[in-house]
Amino acid sequence: MEVTRVGSLSLEFLMSYRLWQQTIALVTLALVVSGALSCNVSSKNEEFFGKTVAPERNILRYVTGDEPESLDPVVSSGQPEARIYMALYDGLVEYHPKTLFPIPALAERWDINNDSSEFVFHLRHNGRWSNGDPIDSSDFIYSFRRALSPATASRNAYLGYYIKYAQEFNAGAVFVRDAKTNEFLLAKDFDPNSPPEPLSMKSVAGDGEFKPTQEEAKPDADSEFHRLMHSPLRLTLPGAEKKRNALLEKNAKLKAAVAGKEFVPVKAEDIGVEAVDKYTVRISLVQPAPFFSGLLAHQLFRLVPRKAVETYGDQWTQPNHIVTCGPFKVKTWKPYDKLVVERDPMYWDAGNVRLDEIQFFPSQDNPTSMNLYKVGEIDAVLNHTVPNAWLDVVRTKKDYMDGVEAGIDFLQINVTKPPMNDVRVRKAFNLAIDKVAWATWRKVVKPLTAFTPEGIFQGYPQPKGDQFDPERARQLLGEAGYPVTKNPDGSFSCPKFPVKEVEFTFNTQESNKAMAEWMQAQWKQNLGITVGLRNMEWKTFLAVRSALEYKGFSRGAWGADYMDPFTFLSLFYTGGESGTGWIDPKYVAMLDEANRMLDHEKRYELLAKAEKYMIDAQPVIPIDTSSINWVKKPYVKGMYPNAASLYPWKFVYIERDRSKWDYGTPSLSD
Amino acid sequence: MIRFIIKRLLVTIPTILVVISITWGLIKLAPGNFYSGEKRLPPTIEQNIRAKYGLDKPWYQQYGKMLWQIVGHLDFGTSLKYEGQSVNSIIARSLPVSAAVGLLAYLLALVVGITAGSIAALKQNSKWDYASMTLAMLGISLPNFVLGPILVLVFSLTLYWLPPSRWDGFFSRNIILPVVTLSAIYIAYIARLTRAGMLEVLRSDYIRTARAKGLSEKDVVIKHALRGGLMPVVSYTGPALAFLLTGTVVVEKIFALPGLGNYFIQASLNRDEPLIIGIVAFIAITLLLMNLLVDIAYAFLDPRVRY
Repeated sequence: MEVTRVGSLSLEFLMSYRLWQQTIALVTLALVVSGALSCNVSSKNEEFFGKTVAPERNILRYVTGDEPESLDPVVSSGQPEARIYMALYDGLVEYHPKTLFPIPALAERWDINNDSSEFVFHLRHNGRWSNGDPIDSSDFIYSFRRALSPATASRNAYLGYYIKYAQEFNAGAVFVRDAKTNEFLLAKDFDPNSPPEPLSMKSVAGDGEFKPTQEEAKPDADSEFHRLMHSPLRLTLPGAEKKRNALLEKNAKLKAAVAGKEFVPVKAEDIGVEAVDKYTVRISLVQPAPFFSGLLAHQLFRLVPRKAVETYGDQWTQPNHIVTCGPFKVKTWKPYDKLVVERDPMYWDAGNVRLDEIQFFPSQDNPTSMNLYKVGEIDAVLNHTVPNAWLDVVRTKKDYMDGVEAGIDFLQINVTKPPMNDVRVRKAFNLAIDKVAWATWRKVVKPLTAFTPEGIFQGYPQPKGDQFDPERARQLLGEAGYPVTKNPDGSFSCPKFPVKEVEFTFNTQESNKAMAEWMQAQWKQNLGITVGLRNMEWKTFLAVRSALEYKGFSRGAWGADYMDPFTFLSLFYTGGESGTGWIDPKYVAMLDEANRMLDHEKRYELLAKAEKYMIDAQPVIPIDTSSINWVKKPYVKGMYPNAASLYPWKFVYIERDRSKWDYGTPSLSD
Repeated sequence: MIRFIIKRLLVTIPTILVVISITWGLIKLAPGNFYSGEKRLPPTIEQNIRAKYGLDKPWYQQYGKMLWQIVGHLDFGTSLKYEGQSVNSIIARSLPVSAAVGLLAYLLALVVGITAGSIAALKQNSKWDYASMTLAMLGISLPNFVLGPILVLVFSLTLYWLPPSRWDGFFSRNIILPVVTLSAIYIAYIARLTRAGMLEVLRSDYIRTARAKGLSEKDVVIKHALRGGLMPVVSYTGPALAFLLTGTVVVEKIFALPGLGNYFIQASLNRDEPLIIGIVAFIAITLLLMNLLVDIAYAFLDPRVRY
């Protein structure tokens, strides 16, 4: 999930902190002169940051980030919208407010088969839309099919690719059928390396598939569709004729087998989502995915109203058409101004919703948001809003939220161009960065040597990457053919290194610039190499990075889509997607093997092994695990500073009794 | 006069088309696209998005479709970033905000600027002259991204008198700081222009005649001097108003106002093609119309100008 709002022109960008400080000094001077100082200047010893008065009504005013792209939950991939969707739409499961693990939402409970490849969700019977219509399993079937449809073109669709035939449906692929026998060609006959099939692809009668739970002693009703899901994976080919023919040209065996057969498009009805009965939804996956139930809290899988969507098309999210199913419903929406949602009496758990209203204000500018917070016009701001330069003051206040975050910062390396195609050079640049010193300077981050955030995934044996070791860095560079020599004044130089071939590319933003300059200084100091810096506008940067048009290093950051290390490790799962050019089938195979593990601990162990393997190849230089960094008024309770900054709003309330306020960051342990 | 106006209006149409075409070309040349994000999309999903928005068609088809929509239907299409919101509705919604702030700022600038400039000119080289010209110099040299935060710092964060940002309707206290911030530079320019214009006019023969006729100083200044002295201000007003009405990026950004300028900068950063083209075309039209109005105003103010 994208955590940073990088695409905006911010005040920080227009105005460096030094200028800001000079301005403050200037103004203070002006105030002294005019005598206004006697009036009211906030004292430095205040307990909280700015005005702190609990509001009369149960209304939360919150800056969630940039203007929401749409109120349609399948549209946006960002965190700001995710929080709005959480107020408006319910899914099968919801995030736990502290741990983010899935808790029951429209599904009361769920069963998982023995290898985590089939999930059965039992819906509550009192789910209702905001217009009063009842919610049943058909709503989920519709919503899932819509989310994964190529016509919807959701950017998040890849999250649903675990569902059987979902990727093929989304990609517009075709099955191959023998018209005479009505038999479909199977994938395993053409892929010699096909992995062992998960239980959801073995026949239903097979043993060991069903794991009895307390509520349920026997599997749910079988059906024809269920048996279809439990048959071996069918062969699929690209739907576009050109691409398909190109593929067939390369594979003679495939071409021969396909000749004379008919192509059947993969349809919405083919994906592994089934309404077993009115209140039971069964989801069959193409691979074991123990984290899948947690993934279902993601916005992609939240429920959308079929009638409204089909009646109004892309206008269904307009305030006069929209129908929702979450704890809140739309009251007014003035784009770029505010979105007001109010408690929905139709919501199944309306009795436990404690806020009457939430007002979401869009703002991409951190100082602007902080100003609103300080004067008491809003009650909380989104994560990463406190500018680095304000931290010294704001961190001492009791309304500052401090804690771990499921997000990392790293440098991507273009491994396709020399000299960075040499792993020794990549390692040298990694070893030459003192990440502990960096973390101290940045104040709210923790140094990172591996690729998953530290302290987030309980029980995950996170591997350790290389620590800061400039001596070894210089040695490695020497081995790679670029000897580092020590100058008489104690500095280093590396005359043979092709400095022109390496740059640090980043998108224009004050904090990125600070990072780039820091790294540049470290390399200069420890390797004697001065790497050039190159900044560019956000969208240009993205295009350059994904096309591997940059030389050397580029900035990277990622936040968890779900609470599993795989959300980070999968950034390198399919080749080229990471923007480094590092593709390794062995790494992919290692991840596959780990995900097939039935035993949770064993799976974590194998994932950690894969992570170690990736880190050793060094397509990235891990820099830090981010920390959350925001403020909320002490009277806002139940809004826990969890690792993904996602808040199930029904737990949030306004506390007027000062003795029950939060004095400091609320604890995340139960 | 009428013929002149019709001629000018007819020239506007091809100008706008050229502006639209150049903008469209520049957007196509800009790297990146509206759907790109931190994680690169799988090719299949990218393909779906391109197909949905017709980006997989050849460029001349895309260009033709866009142009036909605009010329044939006066429809700028739907925003790519803000799904389901038409460009026309976005402009209709954000224009009043920008226009209100811009007009108020310009009114304030006119009142304060002309007063200060006239006083400075009438009492040339007095302490009044120096004081107002020093302030004007400050106003010109202090950019609004510095002035805005200073005002916020003083009046919101320190004195807690006014809200620091956000839009809260036309009749709210929220509008005060943006209007003042925005007007500062215009006050300064108008004051200097008025002073220069007035000084020139005050020395001219017809003012001497007026004085010789025995007119009161009030009549001389208001009826004769000001009318001629304001000519530079009038020619400045056209483009200035066009820019003010169509939004000022920086001030709208500082105060988080839902105006046209804010949308414009966001649209460019988001590569939101229909929205960029819509706003650019709109600004171009406004600019051309304002210049036309200025030319018409000349005819009324200056008896020598005839079309």
